[in-house]
Amino acid sequence: MRGAWKKISEMARTLWMRIREWCGDAAYERYQRVAARKNGVCVITREQFYVEQAERRYSRPNRCC
Amino acid sequence: MKKVVSVVVWAGVALSGAGALATIALQRNERISATWFVVAAVCFYLVAYRFYSAFLAAKLVALDDSRATPAERNDDGRDFVPTNKWVLFGHHFAAIAGPGPLVGPTLAAQFGYLPGTLWLIAGAAFAGCVQDFVILFCSIRRNGKSLGEMARDEVGKRGGFIAQLAVLAILIILLGVVALVVVNALKTSPWATFTLAMTIPIALLMGVYLRYLRPGRVLEASLIGLALVMFVVVAGQWVADSGSWAKVFTLSGVALAFWIIAYGFAASALPVWLLLAPRDYLSAFIKAGAIFSLAAGILIVRPEIQMPALTKFIDGTGPVFAGKIFPFCFITIACGAISGFHSLISSGTTPKMIQREGHARFIGYGAMLLESFVGVMAMVAACAMQPGVYFAINSPAGIVGATPDAVAATISGWGYHLDAQTMIDMAKAVGEQTLFNRAGGAPSLAVGMAQIFSSTIGGERLMSIWYHFAIMFEALFILTVLDAGTRVGRFMVQEMGGRVWKPFAQTSWMPSVVISSALVVGGWGYFLYQGVIDPFGGINSLWPLFGIANQLLAAVALVVATTVLLKMGRLKWIWVTLVPMVWLVTITMTASWQKIFSTNARIGFLSGANALAAQIAAGKIPAAKIVEIQRTIFNLRLDAVVTAVLAVMILTLVFEAIVRWTAILTKRSEAVMHETPYVATQWSVGAEGD
Repeated sequence: MRGAWKKISEMARTLWMRIREWCGDAAYERYQRVAARKNGVCVITREQFYVEQAERRYSRPNRCC
Repeated sequence: MKKVVSVVVWAGVALSGAGALATIALQRNERISATWFVVAAVCFYLVAYRFYSAFLAAKLVALDDSRATPAERNDDGRDFVPTNKWVLFGHHFAAIAGPGPLVGPTLAAQFGYLPGTLWLIAGAAFAGCVQDFVILFCSIRRNGKSLGEMARDEVGKRGGFIAQLAVLAILIILLGVVALVVVNALKTSPWATFTLAMTIPIALLMGVYLRYLRPGRVLEASLIGLALVMFVVVAGQWVADSGSWAKVFTLSGVALAFWIIAYGFAASALPVWLLLAPRDYLSAFIKAGAIFSLAAGILIVRPEIQMPALTKFIDGTGPVFAGKIFPFCFITIACGAISGFHSLISSGTTPKMIQREGHARFIGYGAMLLESFVGVMAMVAACAMQPGVYFAINSPAGIVGATPDAVAATISGWGYHLDAQTMIDMAKAVGEQTLFNRAGGAPSLAVGMAQIFSSTIGGERLMSIWYHFAIMFEALFILTVLDAGTRVGRFMVQEMGGRVWKPFAQTSWMPSVVISSALVVGGWGYFLYQGVIDPFGGINSLWPLFGIANQLLAAVALVVATTVLLKMGRLKWIWVTLVPMVWLVTITMTASWQKIFSTNARIGFLSGANALAAQIAAGKIPAAKIVEIQRTIFNLRLDAVVTAVLAVMILTLVFEAIVRWTAILTKRSEAVMHETPYVATQWSVGAEGD
């Protein structure tokens, strides 16, 4: 019973993580990890990152007919 | 033993699909259940994915999981982001699935359910999915290059230029025609207009929240936005019921067109985080929810299909749009079967996020299969309503008449029984003043969805709420396409203008922003206005134009794909992309020829203009209407010129490609590949790459 519960909660956590990745909620956290790995520090703030991502995303076709 | 089980299972899937397809294809006198459509489509997709896409992945392009993808090589956490394949599938699907797979099949239902359904299923498996998958593969192997860049590198400078022009042409025409769909759905509907108008302040609120209050917390902001949108859908009824507010939000087609043009301009020029991005987040959630709810609703309700397999309008006399099945069914249904626009997504963000080459099959081929399924759902929703009701909603007043009795008499005369009271009752049930003359597909799809949803939850009582939810869902993501498309068009105009005068290319320089936004909005705004004042509803002339432009872009993509395959030495399998390309060029050229030169005034732009000019000359047009008719004549001739330009572009591209292919095959020219050099992946199988 405990094992099943553990499995369910792990699945729910993974699902939640995937949803956050899909909608862009987790994008800054991911950027932080990459920046820390490469430079050791985070170069831009969460707010700057959000604005920059939006600018980049909507400067090329990203929604189809 | 495992192999035997596999053979038995797949034989069962194939036989079930074949049986279901035979049932929907051969049934003539009895109504059939929508379940047959679901079984036929799903089994066909499963077989196509399991066998055809596996063949493409192994033999045609030879996907190599040992090769590092652009996302792995350039991982910067910003543009190049290795992404879980299910998450990327969701991203890619949300990007490719727009209003096209909903509106196109709904319009093509005038031929009956069969032609459109067969084209949706087979077209996707053998053309649309192939295009998306192969272009995604090409872009992955070229560090995420765009279609235009690949066309220039692989086919030639002219190919690249045509690709760029085709993208701009399709954007302008697409935005004009989808805006027309929104106008026809909202005109004289205070409830729907109020609901959609309120999504603008909701998006602005979300924009401020995401920028200043809780930066980047998309999920929180979207949930708040969703709750507010649901509230305004319900509140729309109060507005419609209150005399004074109802007047404010009851707008004519022309007034709505100008509001939408002003909105497009503002969305393009305003900071992207303020309006465009939050609206897109909201739209993505509602789109995903509504599409899955529709699929679930159809599976639960299993409605009976009321539309015959083939209607009398296969002869080309259809009221929704004129023209025979060939080529117009294949032009009307683009997204859902094959859409050139997808190649921009497959060579845009997706190749920069893919973790492994092997995922390209699931994402490129699989996401298109799912979009095709959305198209089949839309076809079911349209065909589940009485044919008389379908034609009453989608036919323009210029053909069926302006009064309820005239409409009922005309449509009953075609053999599809309709009494005026049915339409009056239905309009009342969905909370509208009228459902007549709503060409464009959105209202009839909304009625179909509302019938399916209300059969599941709420019954007749919630019919009006479901209808307006469906209208809001369609209009919301059409406006998202509109503002995102206008902004992309603005960037393209700025880039082209920058070649003439450098400062114009600065994307943040305000005079350049205003001028380029005005040019793009003016372009699609003109097509929108033309459609709104068209006595035949606008869809008859504009949707085929959009289809031709979209398939032109698909032809560009398949030319690029074929050229790359030739250079890779895959001559044996070249038919995989060559056959869909020849098919697309054939239907596009036939449709272009008929739209320009057909002697039938409802099909041919020139003969339509000449017929109206003859009426003016014969004094048959009242003096008060002469200016309006002269404007229509000008618009028809303009449409003929636009169609001719698109056709010349296709012919130039095909000529350019044939010259290139001949040079490669006769070894007069070296087959230079522009792939990035092989770099071995550092990730083991199953690693996240994060």
